[in-house]
Amino acid sequence: MLMPPKEIILNIIKELFIVMLLLLGVSFVVFGILYAAPGDQFSVLLEGQLPTAQARQEIREAMGGAQGWYGQYFSWLLNVLSGNFGTSVRTGLPVAGELLTVSLNTLYLTLGSMLVTLLVAVPIALYSSVRGHSVAISWPLTMLGYVISALPVFWLGYIAIYISIHGFDFFPLASMSRTPGENDWLYTLVPVLVLGLGSGTISEVIRNLREEMSRVMAEDYVRTARAKGASVWRHAFKEGLLLPVTQIIAAKIPFILGGAVIVEQVFNWPGMGRMAWQAAQDRDFPVIMGIVLVAAAFVRLGSLIQHIVCTAVNPQGARD
Amino acid sequence: MNQPLLKIENLRTYFYSRSKHSFVRAVDGVSLEVGQRETVGVVGESGSGKSITAMSVMGLISTGPGVIGGSIHFASARVQKNLLEGLHKCVKVEEQDGRVMAVSKDERGWQKTAERLMRDLRGKEIAMIFQNPRASLNPYITVGEQITEAVRLHTANKSVREARERAVYWLERVKIDSPRLRFNSYPSALSGGMCQRAMIAMALSSEPSLLIADEPTTGLDATIQSKIVDLMEELKSETGISTLLISHDISVISRLSDRVAVMYGGAVVEYGPAQRVLDMGAATKHPYTAALLASVPSAQQIRDKANLQAIEGDVLDTINVPPGCRFYARCNQVTPAVREKCATHQPELQEVAPGHQMRCWRYAVPA
Amino acid sequence: MKKYSQTSSVIEDFSKLPFWQKYAVVDLIYVGYGLLIVALVLLSYILGMFNWLPHDPQQINMDMLMAPPATADYLLGTDFMGRDILSRLIMGIQAYFLPGLLAISISLSGGILLGVVAGYRGGTIETIITYFTNLVDSFPRLVLILLVIAAFKPDIYYIMVVMGITGVPAVATAIANKIRFLAQKNFIEAAIALGLRTRVIIVKHILWYNCRALLIIQATLGMGEAILLETSLSYLGFGVQEPEPSWGNMVQSGANYFLQGNFWPSTAPALAILFTILGFNLLGDGLNNILEDKRDK
Repeated sequence: MLMPPKEIILNIIKELFIVMLLLLGVSFVVFGILYAAPGDQFSVLLEGQLPTAQARQEIREAMGGAQGWYGQYFSWLLNVLSGNFGTSVRTGLPVAGELLTVSLNTLYLTLGSMLVTLLVAVPIALYSSVRGHSVAISWPLTMLGYVISALPVFWLGYIAIYISIHGFDFFPLASMSRTPGENDWLYTLVPVLVLGLGSGTISEVIRNLREEMSRVMAEDYVRTARAKGASVWRHAFKEGLLLPVTQIIAAKIPFILGGAVIVEQVFNWPGMGRMAWQAAQDRDFPVIMGIVLVAAAFVRLGSLIQHIVCTAVNPQGARD
Repeated sequence: MNQPLLKIENLRTYFYSRSKHSFVRAVDGVSLEVGQRETVGVVGESGSGKSITAMSVMGLISTGPGVIGGSIHFASARVQKNLLEGLHKCVKVEEQDGRVMAVSKDERGWQKTAERLMRDLRGKEIAMIFQNPRASLNPYITVGEQITEAVRLHTANKSVREARERAVYWLERVKIDSPRLRFNSYPSALSGGMCQRAMIAMALSSEPSLLIADEPTTGLDATIQSKIVDLMEELKSETGISTLLISHDISVISRLSDRVAVMYGGAVVEYGPAQRVLDMGAATKHPYTAALLASVPSAQQIRDKANLQAIEGDVLDTINVPPGCRFYARCNQVTPAVREKCATHQPELQEVAPGHQMRCWRYAVPA
Repeated sequence: MKKYSQTSSVIEDFSKLPFWQKYAVVDLIYVGYGLLIVALVLLSYILGMFNWLPHDPQQINMDMLMAPPATADYLLGTDFMGRDILSRLIMGIQAYFLPGLLAISISLSGGILLGVVAGYRGGTIETIITYFTNLVDSFPRLVLILLVIAAFKPDIYYIMVVMGITGVPAVATAIANKIRFLAQKNFIEAAIALGLRTRVIIVKHILWYNCRALLIIQATLGMGEAILLETSLSYLGFGVQEPEPSWGNMVQSGANYFLQGNFWPSTAPALAILFTILGFNLLGDGLNNILEDKRDK
């Protein structure tokens, strides 16, 4: 797996550059919406981004003159890049600070649910592919996958809450600010589980992984491994499991984040999703704008990581 | 030891076409042997079942129903067993008028048994090399590591360092240039010819008793083909290994084989010493072999720019196998005396001279 | 034990078989179920449009609170305010049907345009278009919609426009890939060599002959996603507001009752969502397998 390091680094730098370009595009889109919005959203935002009342007054006067969208975009962008997302219309607090804590909560939820999804999907996919397409065995599982994917995740959440409360005497709705008890982390498992199962991605992940693994199992080089008496798994797993998993997880991050918005609502989880919902209710533009930026950054980070894994595993771009 | 190293008897490997709801009789009763220090060449057109035969020996058939009958006896100094032992317990065949109409096979059960039987043979006693060597090597692992893996699995050199040295040694032996450099290269960096050399190195590094080479030169450039054949000749005499060589290229077969089996439509139609079978002028000649040899342009024909002598008709449809001799539809040596038999009855493989077998009504020895 | 058998005569012409023997049973079931759902949705939309409902969906009936299904005239029972659930479910389709169609038409038209240009031209143009599809893909849909709601207003049509735009990458990539595949097979070169005009090649040969399966499948999957999105949004309180019914807001308002043990008012709409989205997804997958020859026939 050792590649001349120079090539890997160059490759990663190139990819980083593309990511930056994309994030710039993201900022442009967000700014565009900001600009096109009725009501002087921009000024509201800009005012919120300035520290003192006097500075705000000054800028209001300055803005009376002509400052084209170009200038506005840049000053906004500079603010954003320096971590200043303005202040929340509702709370008056700087957005960036609030975002930090809640985004960690959402990160926990998202990563945890990805783990759950994989823990369920990978064994099923591998089992199905190794057994071959015998309809009798894998069909009920496939069907189950479809049904779970079509389940509205909010309803799944209520079922989970009901079962926890009435079955296990467990209150997963407990907010994070409860006095710390012994098994607090257990409470956090329920939303993670619900999002992991209900984010609608399970059946696709299963199907994708199974197809990839079956395809790789049929490759010539796996046949050689078999003929050689070597471990088929060792040869097939890179292309059959590792790469497809990173690829599909990176691709599904936007969906999982969307699911997080709903799950946070159901469980009253203090994360970015619930904050976004609140912001939409209140038309609290700075907050939701910050959230969109963070979310998009997270998506791109995921795809960057996937790219790095691919490059590390795939020597000199050996396979197409 | 006077036992043959590999003895295949009446091997039948069928597939099933769901769309046509019928069997594909890929290997339909094949018998042949490979002796000690001997190279047996199997020649025939595409679709004749030669590759499937090789795969059946190695137990690499995974689509159903797969191997359904016969026996494959393997006898080396270390191991002696029937590779299809217990198959009859997992398979039930229903025949009608001598044709297989239904097959019930406990596929999972047989797979378990087969894996158990083949486990100490694959790579160690029997090694196989394939067509399209670049695709047959793992593109994510260096060439050297793949050979090292084979060495560590099957020889006494278990330590990584020793195994790597051994791998380099074998790379040198297959005359690959800059062996140490190639050791650290990935298959994508190697040409087809070099990949095939590496595959050969990988196969021989575990010092097997039998090498199965499935179309080792097909797909390579013509000049490279010839070099690979040279290499195989050298290694053959140096190591004394037995080889089952599959190819549709007659020149390759003739250069390397001691005995030759000609296959058509899933069965062996002629089998004997190489000089006898491949001799164009011989009196006793299976019609198919004769036609095959005639279709290879001789130097004279090339010079004269004569028309290529093709075999009339299409390759046998192994789904719709006709009742009589397989080759009947394309045979140009049918005489009125045997015509009726050719059309209605399958000839058996019979010995027409010592060590020379033929499947043809014209040479049939009356029982 | 696996059994294989054959008849004495071989089936010669496979394509002449009736369709139930040609395709895998599984796929036929998927498509059948999917079509059933589509028909029901269509029917319900029409019923809702003309208000041909068994009961007034907003009619409160305090005598019949929480009636279980199959009570008197209430086929699916009543909710916590005595309103007929069946009528509400049927009415709920109004919330996503037209908007969903809007969304998929935007996705398809945008996707076809970009996909064809990217696939046909290739080169720099393709790189630029890829940049745009990656850009759109960077936004989680729901979050982006919340942004739009915060900036503008919670109008379902605005939302569906965003939905449509975010659906463009999937269609565009699928079409571009298909075109690349056809190009690889020298299909396009052959058409050009035959002297066909570019417009004809694109519309007739590429899109109609080769891509129509793909487009139908994208449309069905897109509809499924639109339904998921609309119900999620109305669950969150955006979109159709009480007392007007939408499957999402029905689940939401029944939530507290659910936790107290009265499952039905929340469950009925949830099941409706489940079966409907399932229908569209299965339809898409079944068609995919049948039309794109994925299964081992």
